[in-house]
Amino acid sequence: MAAPTSGSSNAKPFDIVATYNDLLRSDPDLTMPIAAIEALVLLLTHSPSSTISETLDLLEKSTAHLKQSIPNPIGLSAGTDLFQRYLITTLQRPGQLGPAGDFNAIRAHLLSNGRLFIRRAKESRDKIAAFGRGFVRDGSTVLTNGGSRVVASLLQKAADEKGGPSAVRFKVIYVLSSAKRNSDEPEGMETVRALRAKGVPVSTIPESAVAYAMGKADIVIVGAEGVVENGGIVSRMGTYQIGLLAKAMGKPFYVVAESHKFVRIYPLGQYDLPIEQRVIDFKTEEDVADEAKQQKAVSTETSDAKAVNTADSADVVDFTPPHLISALITDSGVLTPSAVSEELIKIWF
Amino acid sequence: MPSNSVALTPGLASFLKSLKTNPIDTSIDDLISLLKRRQIRHSRSCATATAYLMRSVISATRTSDANKLIERVQYAGRRVMAAQPREMVVGNIVRRVLGLIRDEAEDDREGDFSLSEAGSESQPQTPRALDDPSEVLSYRHDGSDRSSSRQPFTSLSATPISMFSLLSHPEPETSLPGTPASASPSGRLLGHSHNKDIRAEVLDGINEIIDELGQVDDQIAAYALEHIHSNEIILTHTSSTTVQKFLLKAAAKRKFTVIHAESYPNNHEATHATISGQAPKDDDMLSTEAFQKPLIALGITVILIPDSAVFALMSRVNKVILGTHSVLANGGLVAAAGTRVIARAAKVHQTPVVVVSGVYKLSPVYPFDFDSLIEYGDVSKVIGYEDGDLVDQIDVQNPLYDYVPAELVDLYITNLGGHAPSYLYRIVSDHYRKEDINV
Repeated sequence: MAAPTSGSSNAKPFDIVATYNDLLRSDPDLTMPIAAIEALVLLLTHSPSSTISETLDLLEKSTAHLKQSIPNPIGLSAGTDLFQRYLITTLQRPGQLGPAGDFNAIRAHLLSNGRLFIRRAKESRDKIAAFGRGFVRDGSTVLTNGGSRVVASLLQKAADEKGGPSAVRFKVIYVLSSAKRNSDEPEGMETVRALRAKGVPVSTIPESAVAYAMGKADIVIVGAEGVVENGGIVSRMGTYQIGLLAKAMGKPFYVVAESHKFVRIYPLGQYDLPIEQRVIDFKTEEDVADEAKQQKAVSTETSDAKAVNTADSADVVDFTPPHLISALITDSGVLTPSAVSEELIKIWF
Repeated sequence: MPSNSVALTPGLASFLKSLKTNPIDTSIDDLISLLKRRQIRHSRSCATATAYLMRSVISATRTSDANKLIERVQYAGRRVMAAQPREMVVGNIVRRVLGLIRDEAEDDREGDFSLSEAGSESQPQTPRALDDPSEVLSYRHDGSDRSSSRQPFTSLSATPISMFSLLSHPEPETSLPGTPASASPSGRLLGHSHNKDIRAEVLDGINEIIDELGQVDDQIAAYALEHIHSNEIILTHTSSTTVQKFLLKAAAKRKFTVIHAESYPNNHEATHATISGQAPKDDDMLSTEAFQKPLIALGITVILIPDSAVFALMSRVNKVILGTHSVLANGGLVAAAGTRVIARAAKVHQTPVVVVSGVYKLSPVYPFDFDSLIEYGDVSKVIGYEDGDLVDQIDVQNPLYDYVPAELVDLYITNLGGHAPSYLYRIVSDHYRKEDINV
């Protein structure tokens, strides 16, 4: 199978972290869980394990390693969990891939179908768009944020639906984050351009204008990095406040997410996420001076280290609790937040 | 049931009568025009008519090919649903019939494929038949039982785990009958079995649905004593048979007070009739209600108020019990106009709101656009024709229904038991198949 890293990593030992990062970089359409699954598939290709427990053990170790080396492993762990559960469930289930059957058969299935998984993941976006286009009504104004690819595809699908530039009937308010990523423009500009090209009137506002703009919006649609067990979402910083404002103003707040983003954590609040982000960072004058000194000392390698180890300001996430969410639009239909736990229970128990 | 067929006004009774003699296409057209002219109104009458029509459609289709049956039902179903899109029970019944056919087809297919799998994964046929008498005997108990015995696809092993669809083996997916009926690979598989008469099984299933429609109010009423306690003040709205039966059941054992809000101008006469026990003559809901004693006969104090007075009285009310027109997948409901005001007033006073509804009213449709769910009725009820010159100068509207969002409801009581609004999605997925949501 064609994989971007298979050629180079044949010689040296397989590095799952590098593979994962390469995968994410090579395909901007790839989500974190899918990249994680792909990385694990590639890992299996490179390791000649032949027994079930050996394979599971290897997976577990690499997953733990991968999670440790990535600043925000929430999205990724959805993928690795799904992969592991699939393997175990398939092995337990009666059938040709079951315990009576051949372990090599399931291995071969996973190894040979890596591309298929990616394709399905992308197809599930179209599926969501098909489910979700009913939410974008004629004459409505949609407020959205972030760089979610699912939201982008949903809105574009809705724009196509309405039959080209002449008959477009909905407007978009796009909340652009002030934090810039690698490039100069804020996340989501690409979607804004694509929508404008289709003739959809798009207005971009800063995060500080959300409350001001909410009165003009009919519905809010956001993407998610991970959907947690209680039906809440982990998403780009700023989503929580949009959710609160939408609730306060009585606007429906919809989340679009693929079902492979469901992740088995149960956060009780903002500070309960299993990741460390230094958003609130108390400092005195002294601390600031100290930091400046340190910064000078390591200025040579600072850019590298910072990118990997600490989540920079563009990557921070917050948690939107389920009571703010009207519905989740997923590839398995329109779900209420409480339906998420059931989907998760189905794969875990 | 009135026996002289000549004097029969068009309605449920005349439709059911004609169903036996008319050819099937005439019957479909009949129901369509009845629905369009609103000569069949109440949710249950519509559901019953649809179920009987579906039964005739299937018995008139002489084929053992599941795909042909599905196509036929879809065709008839689409037409009837299009006749009155806001009458969502029609679609619900059509979807359940489609689900029945698919189940039978699947059961068959599994039986054909491998014996070992059929034993563990699908419901064997014989126990199902045995279940039925016990169901009729004790429907208090059968809530969970019933849904699992009738809908084999609720069992976990039978449904593919949707989250795994990403990773699953490509072959099983193509053979899944979830793909549209016309898809050729599944078509071959579905049609291939001849060892069992699918039609007979489906007809049995439809008869069960019809039975359910007949029993649903009694089943719901069985939960009454758990929710209505002595000396409580209960507020209800409009004349719903389900609510009346519910209250009557509790009244047999307990003494409480009922505040009955009438809903002028669409339902006040029916409400008065319910309270006084004089059932209106025209009713197409034949049968029992006419013989039913009113609450006052059982010594219950009933206070009739206009629905404009609801807010003032709400502080003294212990519980609000509402009937509904249909329930939507997100837990919201479409009910008689004025319901939302009552639910909102109850919310302000922290009074629990209980909605009683048969499962057949539960629709898998997600309300994308709330306004489109509201039906508008006869304007002359608001302003009579004697005020005709006024009509030129003002715009008169008479909405029949309200949309009540899920957060205003505390509990749903269906014939399967009590459910939180957020749990309704589960009952929806138990009763309808995903591929039938868009018929």
